[in-house]
Amino acid sequence: MVRKYVGLWILVLAMAVILPGTSLAAGVIKIGAVYPLTGDVASTGQECKSGVELALDIINNSYDIDIPFAKTAGIPSLGGAKLEAVFSDSQGSPQTGISAAEYLISNNGVVAMVGAYQSSVTKTVSQVTERMHIPMVCSDSTSTALTERGFHYFFRANPNVTIGAQDQFEFLEGMRKQGHSINRIALVYENSEWGSSVAEQEKICAKKYGYEIVADVPYSHSTTDVSSEVARIMDAHPDVVMENSYVSDEILYTEAFKLHNFTPPALMSWTGHTDRSYLKTVGPDADYFVVLSEFNLAMAKTIPAIKQVNDLYRKKFGHDLTENAVRSFNAPFVLADAINRAGSTNPDAIQKALTETNMSAGIMPWKGIQFDQNHQNQYASLVLQQMVKGEFQTVWPPNVATMKIVWPFPGWGK
Amino acid sequence: MENQLLQMVVDGLLMGSIYALIAVGMTLIWGVMNIINFAHGAFLMLAMFLTFWADKLWGIDPLVSLPLVALIMFFVGWGTYSTTVRKVLTGPILAQLLVTFGIAIFLVNLAVFLWSPDYQQLRGTLISGTWRFPLFVVSEAKVVAALASVVVFAGTYWWLKKTRLGRAVQATSISKEAAALMGINTERVFGITFGVALALLGVAGSLLCNFYYVFPSVGDMFGLLAFAIVALGGFGSVPGSFLGGLMIGLAEHLGGLYLGPQYKYAVIFIIYLGVVSIRPKGLFGW
Amino acid sequence: MVTKIVNQRQPTLGGHRRNKSKVKIDHLWMPAAALLFCILPLVYDNHHFQHVLILVFMYALLGQAWSLAGGYAGMISFGHIAFFGFGAYTSTLLFLDTGLSPWLGLFAGGLISAMFAVLIGYPLSKLRGHYFAIATIALQQVVQILFSNWSLVGGANGLSLPLKSGWGYFQFSSKLPYYYIILGLYALSVLVTYWMIRTKPGFYFRAIANDEDSAKRLGVHIARYKSLALGVSAFFAALAGTFYAQYVLYIDPASILNINMSTIIVLVATLGGAVYLFGPLVGALILIPISEYARAWLGGTGRGVDLMIYGLLIIIIVIYQPNGVMGWLQRLRNFRRRPGPTGLSIQAQQGKP
Repeated sequence: MVRKYVGLWILVLAMAVILPGTSLAAGVIKIGAVYPLTGDVASTGQECKSGVELALDIINNSYDIDIPFAKTAGIPSLGGAKLEAVFSDSQGSPQTGISAAEYLISNNGVVAMVGAYQSSVTKTVSQVTERMHIPMVCSDSTSTALTERGFHYFFRANPNVTIGAQDQFEFLEGMRKQGHSINRIALVYENSEWGSSVAEQEKICAKKYGYEIVADVPYSHSTTDVSSEVARIMDAHPDVVMENSYVSDEILYTEAFKLHNFTPPALMSWTGHTDRSYLKTVGPDADYFVVLSEFNLAMAKTIPAIKQVNDLYRKKFGHDLTENAVRSFNAPFVLADAINRAGSTNPDAIQKALTETNMSAGIMPWKGIQFDQNHQNQYASLVLQQMVKGEFQTVWPPNVATMKIVWPFPGWGK
Repeated sequence: MENQLLQMVVDGLLMGSIYALIAVGMTLIWGVMNIINFAHGAFLMLAMFLTFWADKLWGIDPLVSLPLVALIMFFVGWGTYSTTVRKVLTGPILAQLLVTFGIAIFLVNLAVFLWSPDYQQLRGTLISGTWRFPLFVVSEAKVVAALASVVVFAGTYWWLKKTRLGRAVQATSISKEAAALMGINTERVFGITFGVALALLGVAGSLLCNFYYVFPSVGDMFGLLAFAIVALGGFGSVPGSFLGGLMIGLAEHLGGLYLGPQYKYAVIFIIYLGVVSIRPKGLFGW
Repeated sequence: MVTKIVNQRQPTLGGHRRNKSKVKIDHLWMPAAALLFCILPLVYDNHHFQHVLILVFMYALLGQAWSLAGGYAGMISFGHIAFFGFGAYTSTLLFLDTGLSPWLGLFAGGLISAMFAVLIGYPLSKLRGHYFAIATIALQQVVQILFSNWSLVGGANGLSLPLKSGWGYFQFSSKLPYYYIILGLYALSVLVTYWMIRTKPGFYFRAIANDEDSAKRLGVHIARYKSLALGVSAFFAALAGTFYAQYVLYIDPASILNINMSTIIVLVATLGGAVYLFGPLVGALILIPISEYARAWLGGTGRGVDLMIYGLLIIIIVIYQPNGVMGWLQRLRNFRRRPGPTGLSIQAQQGKP
């Protein structure tokens, strides 16, 4: 009978041992990637995965595109060694993220990590990498706290929520200067780690710039119905609604606003609004929201490389680049740059090289990528965009705008 | 908040009727078989996907496919009962609780496997308009869904009270042994009950597709709400679940408006906890 | 020897002589297994493997805690995660706000969790079976929502523990100390379960589980003993909570107060066999590695196949062996001794020495 126990354990041990545990095979550098490939935000997770895969394709092969590491094949200083991403599913849970990270490090011998989209998962994944001294470059999580823990091995290339809220309010200030009367703000946000951290920053900015929060509406991301939320928002008669939702809730809100023919001067939103699932579902109802974003295809007017990269992406995946894919696209380049300068795959050497990063931002409209003392990219910023006839156009800041902003919100079905 | 009050009451009653339709299947299963169907939400999701693909692939509008979906779900229910649920009815309570849980996990992930986790929604169905009244606004789809729910509900109640089969179901839920002694084929009754419960889910899912989006986990919250409704209205009581559904719908909307949307589910569950600590079997349960 | 506590006091017919050598072999497996578990992480020095082992024993502890209330006392709870959460939050808050050592926080969390359990145990004691189960779900939902909106506990943002190292901080850069601590906590829970079951509370628990009405008529104070079961159960669940906080360094309502984790606890206990002393451990030993490794191999494709297998497994186990794996092992053992109709060994039946 004891044998039955031992038998089971030998089975498990065998499973654990048989797993590929190669570290650096000749000419291949393994990078771990933790994303929510299943679960609530799996569609986003898959987009992130596609972004990483595209990045690696460009880095590993030679393309005539004017972004770092496109023209070369592989890592030049390591004889053209190729990067390989090993993906592991976080299932959207911080706990599972730990298992994923542990597995990638122990059983796949990854020398660096990217991920993990959800800030709460990135928190725990980066704890593992910090303890194991593996460098991690995140380009898709926005919680400011991630870069305020004093970690040595964690770097963030994209803007955080503090920057995001700041950009939103600078935009509002700009609109005020153009003569629009804006004072009343309704905040509606999904009530988990991301949504509430954005709301926190927005409240701070509102106070700083002198706006009144007339409705504070946190809600559960898994809600089946938003009528009471929308009732509260409408009741407050806001000038601007700032919405921070993931895909499914964004769909509910857009439809509810339309149902009630709710037309405040401005409807602002962020993440959920650029997701393909959302856009496919609501169609033209997505137009004219003022959406905070890191990227849109209209930027190709000033950054030609975007068109080439998008063509590649479309060939590989069958549809245009999305913001989610682009966010995750950036991290592998930062790693490639660091590994190249370090001339080694030693994690500590990579970490040191990362601190000295000073590179072009590739297809992002930033001045560059350079980390401050908190390991936050100091040049990361966001733009505001509006969708018109199915295409996103940048409307703010003025120097990169591709279209004049439509203000106030013109109404539904226009 | 006053001008939103009527809107909230209307919305609460509309959604409440739909919740009630979802819950009544669970209360039937419970009343007859003493099993809590943890897979209720997952089956609702299945019904929604059936409706969705019927429209997407073959252009069949949800209102048209409704009877067919209900029929398919009936057989899915009977099949599920015969193959799995039946085998645990004689076992410990824990097994009964867990088997439907296992079915739920399996179904949800089967959906992920087959149809991806993406959110999808039907557009341009027969009833996609909006009705505007002086003090409130409603979507045509929701109103039709609510009315249909009430009609189906009434039909189910009539079936239980007036038809032989329905009365057999009632008898079995009161006492399985006595029913068997009276010559009722309790096995068949169980299978039919499970089938009817899932057919009701088929109706609800079909109606929901007119205004709700589908994805593998869509049933989760509906399932949880169904628990609260069934327990509130009383396990086994059909009128109880209707009343419970309306109460929960109202509590959700009014609670969300006055206390804050982030608390609306807490309100529902606190009401439930309050009711069962005074009346453990729910308002009308036995 | 498959230690099913319920059978321990069954009388044997005819005063048969125990087969002494068989008893010796039977009793050896426990220290052997203990030794195995102690040296396992040292033998295979792989971080992920050690992490899986830690998860196994954390869930074994949770399952053991659950079995006290759910297995022996028949209080099937799907909301046990709330107690886990109380433990995690208590120790973390105490550390962040007052600098209290997490070791003391460990016990503070246990006590607070137990107090809360006893408090709600009284009103909930009126509920039975399925009604109780759903009430616990309602409780879990309410706790999760309240914590998500309560700024004192960090709301939806959760709480982060600063990265440190050392016994004083209950944080370590190697996984081994974590492993031995959770092993120790689990062992403690087993000892307490063993002791409780053999004493008066244990008998009352089982009386309540088997037939509550008769127990009441015989004078068992239902509310008091149900609350006691829940309280002790909550205490150990909270210990696991603090451990988790110190291991993961980040807690938020979405990840440690959710219904999925709560249900896994139930599964672990029942898969192994909720009324067997080592049932939860067996359950954890099976479920956790399967889920971890299945996800590692299949999950990357993102199509939910690993969870489909999980669901099927639950269905199969529950239909064919509702007493869990330990129940199945016990049947095998009884079968080997060729039991007669009363389930006792033939030797005993015949009254032979």
